[in-house]
Amino acid sequence: MPSDKNNKIPFNEDNYTHNIERNNERKLDRRGFMKTLVGAAGAFAVSSLPWGAVAAKELMGLGDKEYPHQKITDISDIPVGEAVEFTFPGEHDDALLVRLAENKYVAYQNACTHLRCPVFWKKEQGELLCPCHHGKFDVETGVPFAGPPRRPLPEIQLKVENGAVYAVRVKRYEA
Amino acid sequence: MKLRIVGVAVLCIILMLNVICTQYMVHQYYYENYINTLIFGGLNIFLFPTAIYVYKKTINAKA
Repeated sequence: MPSDKNNKIPFNEDNYTHNIERNNERKLDRRGFMKTLVGAAGAFAVSSLPWGAVAAKELMGLGDKEYPHQKITDISDIPVGEAVEFTFPGEHDDALLVRLAENKYVAYQNACTHLRCPVFWKKEQGELLCPCHHGKFDVETGVPFAGPPRRPLPEIQLKVENGAVYAVRVKRYEA
Repeated sequence: MKLRIVGVAVLCIILMLNVICTQYMVHQYYYENYINTLIFGGLNIFLFPTAIYVYKKTINAKA
């Protein structure tokens, strides 16, 4: 809105809030901002409690967990170079078994270590690819070599027995 | 005049440390270094009373 104030200097200054131009402007002063900062620090503190709880739970002896051995697939159902999806150890922990050679199998939990998108086996390129941000993992070791992920995929230890592949346990990272 | 800014600056630094500690905490959890997770979580919790202390300390700072 055009104002004629500028043409009358000094203009009539008859209220002490003439320099407030927005609603709640006084609520956004320095001290209000500091309160927000302290509140944010509190939110961080509260949000780290569950992480501490689960970490403490893991430390209390659940170290190297042994799960019931789970049959993934029959050897005859998975040709060399192919992959099969399964879940291990829980039904929501998606995993991927890749048959690399006649007697070589690898399996990883295939939630991408960046933002947990599913990782797929690209047979032509011979690599594990997360399509979300093009994170790529080495199929032999699970170590990321491209894209945003920095942490290897958790490897699943396997056992081949009676013409079938079994998942035994989730390998722990070596600290 | 300068004193006004000190409180805000210190609180901003604390918030930055919060972000860093949270980041480390989550990453160390997924790396299965649970002791480090606890350390960084503890630091995060410790920073909250520090922030309150700084806030109260600067409440009467001269303009």
